[in-house]
This record gives sequence, C-alpha cells and structure tokens, in this order.
Amino acid sequence: MTNYFYVSPEQLIKDRAEFAQKGIARGRSIVAAIYDPGVLMVAENPSASLNKISEIYDRIAFAGVGKYNEFDRLREAGIRWADSTGFTYSREDVDARALANYYAQHLGDMFTEGQKPLEVEILVAQLANKVRPTKLYRVAYEGTISDEPRFAVLGGDADTIKERFALSEDSLQSLATTLHNAVAALAGPDRVITAEDLEVCILEDRGSRRTFERLSDSRVSELLG
Amino acid sequence: MGLPLFSAHGDPGPSFWHFAQMSGFDPVPREYPHETPHATTVIAVRYVGGVVMVGDRQATGNYIASRDVRKIERADRYTGLAISGSAARGIELLKFAQLSFEHYEKMTDSSLSLEGKANYLSPIIQRNNLSSPLGVLPLLAGWDESNLQGRIFEYDGAGGCYERLDFATIGSGSPFADGTLRLGFRDNLDREEALELGALALYEAGDNDPSTGGPDFVREIFPMMVTLNDEGFQELPSAEVGERFRAINVRRTESRGVAGGSLR
Repeated sequence: MTNYFYVSPEQLIKDRAEFAQKGIARGRSIVAAIYDPGVLMVAENPSASLNKISEIYDRIAFAGVGKYNEFDRLREAGIRWADSTGFTYSREDVDARALANYYAQHLGDMFTEGQKPLEVEILVAQLANKVRPTKLYRVAYEGTISDEPRFAVLGGDADTIKERFALSEDSLQSLATTLHNAVAALAGPDRVITAEDLEVCILEDRGSRRTFERLSDSRVSELLG
Repeated sequence: MGLPLFSAHGDPGPSFWHFAQMSGFDPVPREYPHETPHATTVIAVRYVGGVVMVGDRQATGNYIASRDVRKIERADRYTGLAISGSAARGIELLKFAQLSFEHYEKMTDSSLSLEGKANYLSPIIQRNNLSSPLGVLPLLAGWDESNLQGRIFEYDGAGGCYERLDFATIGSGSPFADGTLRLGFRDNLDREEALELGALALYEAGDNDPSTGGPDFVREIFPMMVTLNDEGFQELPSAEVGERFRAINVRRTESRGVAGGSLR
C-alpha cells in the first residue's frame, strides 16, 4: 500500500524555490546594462561555443543563466516565436515584452505544475526604436517578471554583484566604461576575469536592420584596456 | 501564437521550413485559381572573384502590372536570390529564404554553407510547383566563403538544383539572354567584363521578349545589377546602371537596332 503524506502548499513552494535557487547558484552570473547608445550583456563563460547570450530578433537579445539545456531550449523557442511573428505580421510587430511574458508564463507553469521547476533565469533585452523604448526584462525561475530600469544581474550571486555594479555606475556611460564596470562587478575585489573567459554581446545601431553583435576576445581586451 | 517549445525527439531543428510545417502555418499553397503577374528575365554570370546578377524590373500579366519590381534580393550577406514565374509565389519564396537563412544563423550561431542554402530551397520549390499552377523558378548565386569563389545554382520545375560553372538565366526572356551569354562568356572574365556582358544579355532579352522590361529611359527605371564577391551582396547605383544601358542604346541606335556584327 502506498502512503500519501500531506505537504502544505507553503512548504511545497518553498522546497521548489530552494531547489531552483540551488541549481541557478551553481552557474556563473550575467550582467546586462544599458549604455550610451546600446545594451551590453556580459557573461562569465569559459566556453567559447556554449553560449549564454544570443540574438533573438533585429533589436532583441536573450541571456540565460542556470542549466544550459533548459535555457537553450527557451532561447530556441524565443527565436522561433520572433521569426514566425515577424513573418506572419511585420518585423516591427515583434515585441520583447510579449516574449518576456511568454517566458514568464512558461516558467510559472513549470514551477507549479512541472515535474521540477526550471533552474534558469532569463533576460530579454530590447534596443529602442521609434515606437519602443530600450528595455531589460528579467524573468525568474518561478515566473516573476521584472522590468529593470538601467541594469540587471542574473545568477546565484546576483545581490552582491548588483551592489558592486550600482556603486560604480550612477548614470549612462560609454560601452568601454560600462563593460569595465560590469566585469569588475562580476569578478569582485579579489579576482580578475580575462577576455577569454567572458562572453560579451551588444545591441547597437550600426546602420543595418540587425543590431546584435558578439564581440571578439580581441575587441573585449581592447575595450577593457 | 504561444511559445513554440518542443521535446528533444520532436524538435524541428534550425530549419524554419520544418518548424513552419509542424506549426501549421505552411507557406506552400495547395491550389490557386487565378493567373497573376509573371516576373521575367534574370541573368547570373560568373567572373574571377565573384558573380554578377542582372534582372529586369517589369511584372507582366495580361498587361504591364508593375515597372519597378525588384527580382533580385539579398538573401543574406553573401547570397543573392532572384525569382521568375509567379510574382506572388516568388516574393513569398524570397521572404521565406531570407528568414530561413537568418533563422538558421541565430539558432546555431553559424551560417549555412552556400550549397546548403541552395539545397534547402529544392524541396520548397518542388512542393510549390507540383501542387500549384503558380510555378516559381529562382536563381541563387553567392560568394562561397569556404571555397572562396562565386557560385551559381539554378533549379528545374521539379525543384532539382544544379550548379552552373559559367552562367545561368531564368524567365521568359532567357533564350535571348542565353544566346548573348553563350557568345560572350569566357572563363576568365573580370568584374567589369561580366557586368558589360550581363547588361548586354539583358538588353537583348528586353529587346526581343515582350514581357521583359528593358531600360526605361523615360521613367529612369533601369535593370538591377548586383555583384556578389568577398565583400558580399552589392547593388550598383541606378545612375551607374543607367549610364551602362545608355551607352548600349547609343551603339544600337548607330547600327539601327542590331548588334552590328559583334557583341556590343
């Protein structure tokens, strides 16, 4: 005979949240920040091919921390959603807020109904155009969506890194300064992260439709000085 | 549409076409009842260091439907795609190809090879042409980044994809363009020679085929001329193309409408 034990909803949620947080804390963090005139995303990532940051659409980028297989599937779904929305309607109808909402709903569903919650945290970044503002949407493992005003930190060590980054930046800076501050915040006082261990991507207008760019190690070294 | 998530065994991968089929918004039609405008002559000529593409601008149904259609489009940085046949299906194919190549690039963080892009279109053309009277025949040309050369791929009505090492033509004006190219093509053409030969071949097609639009000096609408080389897809400015066709026109006026015994 099987025995069923009563577990209170509070306890269930607490257990699931703890499980997800532990999974996310195992990975390295990501800092995303708005600079003048674009959006910067920096991940500590020793792998040059297993990316955490990706292009989604003309002016939308994705970043994920936690379990690679889980956030990579979300990344792929995001690209598919964006490309098919743009194909069905128009390129200008692809909106980061709609995508962030879908991610939030999916993560929320998985948190309450899934076998286990997804051990990921997602960022959807959008570069401004004539009708839409620059945005950083952070979606947590349980589906909480937050609209971060100037910068966002994802990952286990987010609070410490957030404090360090906030201290160094009180207004919009250039790409080089913002990158410098982001890397310093990721590394902390006792560590130096080299360009080879960084994944750096930007959204910036360069006169063409697509604004996403993955910066090479040499470019990152050059920017870091 | 909700978030398109798939399990590992049902995942359509980086192919946008397979994804579109699974998601039920298949862009390939089942049947169409009416005739629509047909697009007309496009030429691709290989030269040392790349490919030149030239295309006319006229869409023709029972009358001239449009005089400034763009039949050659940039499919991605190093690839040009041209269309002939049904304008509606052709433009849809262009849009779909552009989207698919970019989709693959974003999904995998690497670009498709030129041959991969050419092969990808085969089953799409096959499905379209065997299921609808609105046939479409594209022409794909580009700079092959791995083999460092310009390459041309043409298709037959059933979607068969064939590489051409010299030149290719599509559309109703192709017999006339083809004749000119066959007389003028050499293995070692340079960019300028290929542009001149391509322009001449298009002029011939425009001169002989009623549904190919030649240079339109009244409206200042000239054929599209594109080069594809290690610098990617580059369209020649309309003024430069206009000069080229004006020069051909002057020569032809002197010899009263015929080439005058040589390729000119």
